[in-house]
Amino acid sequence: MEELIQQLKEEIIQALNLEDLRPEDIDADAPLFGDGLGLDSIDALELIVLLEKNYGIRLADAAAGKEVFRSVRVMAEYVAAHRTK
Amino acid sequence: MDSKDWTGRTDGTDWMLRSLIWFFRWMPPRVLYAVMGLVVPFYMLLRRKSFLAIYHYYRQGHGCGRLRAFVNVYRNHYAFGQVILDRFAVYAGRRFSLEIEGNEYYKRIADQPGGAVFLSSHTGNFELCGYLLNSVGKHLHALVYAGEAEAVMENRRRVWAAHNVTMVPVRDDLSHLFAINAALEEGDAVCMAGDRLLGSAKSVVCPFLGRPARFPLGPYALAVQRGVPLVALFVMKESASRYHVYVQPVRLTAEEEALPRRQRMEALARAFAAQMERIVKQYPHQWFNYYDFWNTGSARP
Repeated sequence: MEELIQQLKEEIIQALNLEDLRPEDIDADAPLFGDGLGLDSIDALELIVLLEKNYGIRLADAAAGKEVFRSVRVMAEYVAAHRTK
Repeated sequence: MDSKDWTGRTDGTDWMLRSLIWFFRWMPPRVLYAVMGLVVPFYMLLRRKSFLAIYHYYRQGHGCGRLRAFVNVYRNHYAFGQVILDRFAVYAGRRFSLEIEGNEYYKRIADQPGGAVFLSSHTGNFELCGYLLNSVGKHLHALVYAGEAEAVMENRRRVWAAHNVTMVPVRDDLSHLFAINAALEEGDAVCMAGDRLLGSAKSVVCPFLGRPARFPLGPYALAVQRGVPLVALFVMKESASRYHVYVQPVRLTAEEEALPRRQRMEALARAFAAQMERIVKQYPHQWFNYYDFWNTGSARP
């Protein structure tokens, strides 16, 4: 799981152009949106596309998104359980 | 005024809007234009911020002298009034003649599999595009401001549904993201404003009419993220009964294609800004962004 968390952090930094951040700067338990990393809707779409392209996961609706993007750890757990590639 | 304070809501109560539609069923449009023309000066006086925004648009954007700028503010408000009245005329069942430039390109995009992003703007009368879209197979999902008056929403829904268009209100819960993402995946088209920030506060500062202005990053990011074509649509009024539609691809140059993702998004925004600038120079009175469009103070990268 820790490995997947690390991998996701790297992918997030790359997809969202957060060049000034290192993976260890991202708290695996902090919320991705709002107070945490402070991401917005454009970033959310990047993450939706990232999950689709890299893990074959299609998030159906906003409720699923809200659940999955709670933190990097939650995201990793979701990826581990639902990945198709 | 900060662009975020500008909600883009159509003025008037539901009752007034409904009466307008009723009027349109029996009143000749020219009579309504004339009545509206008399109301415009009062509107100009009461809406000082809109007045100043458009006054400066003519002074600085088009190099008009004081008197000419003042007269043009009237012409601009009058043109906006006509466009709004025409919108209600459509709700009441009226048809306008449309001349389409770039129809071949439009048909190619509409007929090919895969999604596309259409860019609207606050120039001319974009809503009349409904006719154009009627003839093609691609379903269109239009991102709209969620706080519009119910009568406007209801009529839009009715008219647009007949033209293969679904409205997607932009909400805080990000539900619109999932809707547009799914739409593009299914090969449908998504339509959003290329000139105004809605939802995300991220913006790209582009030169526009000689000064830097803020454009939204969202639509350009979406096209790059999903790798779909980006198409600008301008629907400009030519006369009481005629509109001219411009369908234009928004493309990167060969050198820009090689840039990193974020820079490709920004280059697309600049390309659209240049296209809109050409349209606005051709139709200076059909510019309807009633706030300080060049305020880059709160720009967010």
